[in-house]
Amino acid sequence: MITAAQQSDWLLHHLSQSAGNLPGRGLAWLENLRREAARSVAQLPVLNRKQESWRYTSIDSLLQQRFITAGADIGGLENLDISRWMLPGLDAYRLVLVNGRCLPSPASSADLPEGVVLGSLRTALATDPDRLSAWFVRNSGRSDNLFTALNSALINDGALLHVGTDVVLDKPIEILHLHLGHERPLLVQPRNLLVLEPGSGVTLVERAIGADSSAAFHNHLTEIYLSAGASLDHYRLQDENQRSHHLCTLFLSQQEQSRYRGTHLSFGGVWARTDCHALLQQPGGECEINGLYTVGDEQLKDIHLRVHHAAPRCTSRERFKGILHGEGRAVFDGHIIVDRGAQGSDAQLRNDNLMLTRSAEVDTKPQLEIYADDVKCSHGTTVGEVDPAQLFYLRSRGIDKAQALSMLSLGFAAEISNGIRLNALRSYLAQRLARKLGGQTDASGMDSGNV
Amino acid sequence: MLSIKELRVSIEQKSILNGLNLEIGSGEVHAIMGPNGSGKSTLSQVLAGREDYLVSGGEVLFDGLDLLALETEERAHAGLFLGMQYPVELPGVNNMTFIRESLNALRRARGEPELDAADFLRRVREQAQLVGLDQALLKRGVNEGFSGGEKKRNEILQMAMLQPKLAILDETDSGLDIDALRVIAGGVNGLRAADRSIIVITHYQRLLDYIEPDRVHVLVGGRIVRSGDKQLALELEQRGYGWLDEAAA
Repeated sequence: MITAAQQSDWLLHHLSQSAGNLPGRGLAWLENLRREAARSVAQLPVLNRKQESWRYTSIDSLLQQRFITAGADIGGLENLDISRWMLPGLDAYRLVLVNGRCLPSPASSADLPEGVVLGSLRTALATDPDRLSAWFVRNSGRSDNLFTALNSALINDGALLHVGTDVVLDKPIEILHLHLGHERPLLVQPRNLLVLEPGSGVTLVERAIGADSSAAFHNHLTEIYLSAGASLDHYRLQDENQRSHHLCTLFLSQQEQSRYRGTHLSFGGVWARTDCHALLQQPGGECEINGLYTVGDEQLKDIHLRVHHAAPRCTSRERFKGILHGEGRAVFDGHIIVDRGAQGSDAQLRNDNLMLTRSAEVDTKPQLEIYADDVKCSHGTTVGEVDPAQLFYLRSRGIDKAQALSMLSLGFAAEISNGIRLNALRSYLAQRLARKLGGQTDASGMDSGNV
Repeated sequence: MLSIKELRVSIEQKSILNGLNLEIGSGEVHAIMGPNGSGKSTLSQVLAGREDYLVSGGEVLFDGLDLLALETEERAHAGLFLGMQYPVELPGVNNMTFIRESLNALRRARGEPELDAADFLRRVREQAQLVGLDQALLKRGVNEGFSGGEKKRNEILQMAMLQPKLAILDETDSGLDIDALRVIAGGVNGLRAADRSIIVITHYQRLLDYIEPDRVHVLVGGRIVRSGDKQLALELEQRGYGWLDEAAA
């Protein structure tokens, strides 16, 4: 058990070791932001299992490691061949981050349409700090826990996407977060900012993967602003190695009639946590967050959703499915809040879990907190095993048990995977899942689009 | 082809089959009839390898193999097929993928190469048309939202694709209208061959108007109490099963 003092010591250690090399010195707003965050690190209550959102999550294994801060130097990486890490078959504009630092734009981003900026936050701090300050100011007060504070205190680099008014991209964007090993475990803290101006539309694929099996703590913080009528189709794939800790904190705010459609896929890591905060700030917003997670031995998946209906007539749909095997553990904590003034809200929250073994465990807790009276809200959760009759049916047709289980699991996941609108990602997912779930062939139970 | 000797089976300590004997030769079609609860479905499930049952005695030879020693999927590899009375739904498992994987599993087990995708597609579409299964249902989840009749057609389609040596059809006729019955019977008759045997389990003589059996057996109380030719089925239709109870006692 890690004590409060050890926790503070861990944080201060990581805070102090990287002070030197941060960009944007002399930008008052940024210095302020970092200073406030650093102060929060010292003042915020330590994380412990008495806090509701950390009740089922032990971070001891994380805090027992010391990391060195990544990202001071990307020298020598200019010539890194990143093509083999790209999503095969996806024609996209691309941005690549290695250990949290953006590589100079690959050629595929050169032809970005007018009105679109896709690049490095660090670069923008040097070239266009005023615009960034306008977006960052909205962020104030969001260092709500120690890890977000740690990210804010050390803002260095990350992905920056700005899509101008009424620009609808003709191709998806892929942002690749690649982890390259180092002799010591790395602390990787990209700070990502996605701003969609009114009426714009983008499909974004974000993938967090590792090039090797070295340990790291990935502490992502992503802010998404959807202006009136903007639309974002956001795919997020977390698939780092088994020694990685991954925390993604996502702040989403939506203006009038904007649309967010998220698909969050999480397979890797020893501990992978998603903290997703969605704020429906103005009327008529639509927020859909779908998710699929798998966990096996020595893995913990930790999903926390907080969807806040702060304005009337918004719709939210959250649907997460989990496949648990071995001694895998998962936590699902979904929370919908409907403010007093948010009449006509329509919210649904679902979490379904398929347990392939008796030794797997899930703690699932959907919650509704409703202060308006004219709303349509529901939540539901299930935890079930494979139906022996289904297994028998497949086996009676000659399909062995391992493949049958894999097919049934893929079938269970199909509700999420079939909702993926990019063929390249859907087939990648089918193969990835079949491999992870130990199928003998690439037999996908899901329609991979070519049948 | 199939030789069952003194088979005894129970489930949850309730004895269901009590020394059942049955011999089925190559190329033959046998009908098994009998009242509710007589053990017909238990017999078919045990032969296919359902694990919920306890076999406490007897033996089953299938083509010389000790059938009861095989895993469920190995029985399929050996050429056994069970057309289920209540085919389950497999949500999200694509029907076409399912049939292809199943066919390829059998081919791999026999040391044959997997079927070429185009060949498979052509064959499955052809067969679906023959059994009257809407092509759109090939792209859906297995049996997902299918009507009762569609599920049964899907069973016959699988049988036609897998070309088993021994097909057991467990009440394939239940819940079918007369047109569906004809189509299904047509599918079964199309599979009749010198090296293939078929067991048809049914409550009703009606199906046997379309699938003419070589032998008819009556199962009562977990044993075959009478066997005969197709005339026996007609007799059962007229007299019911009661007279056999008396005869058996």
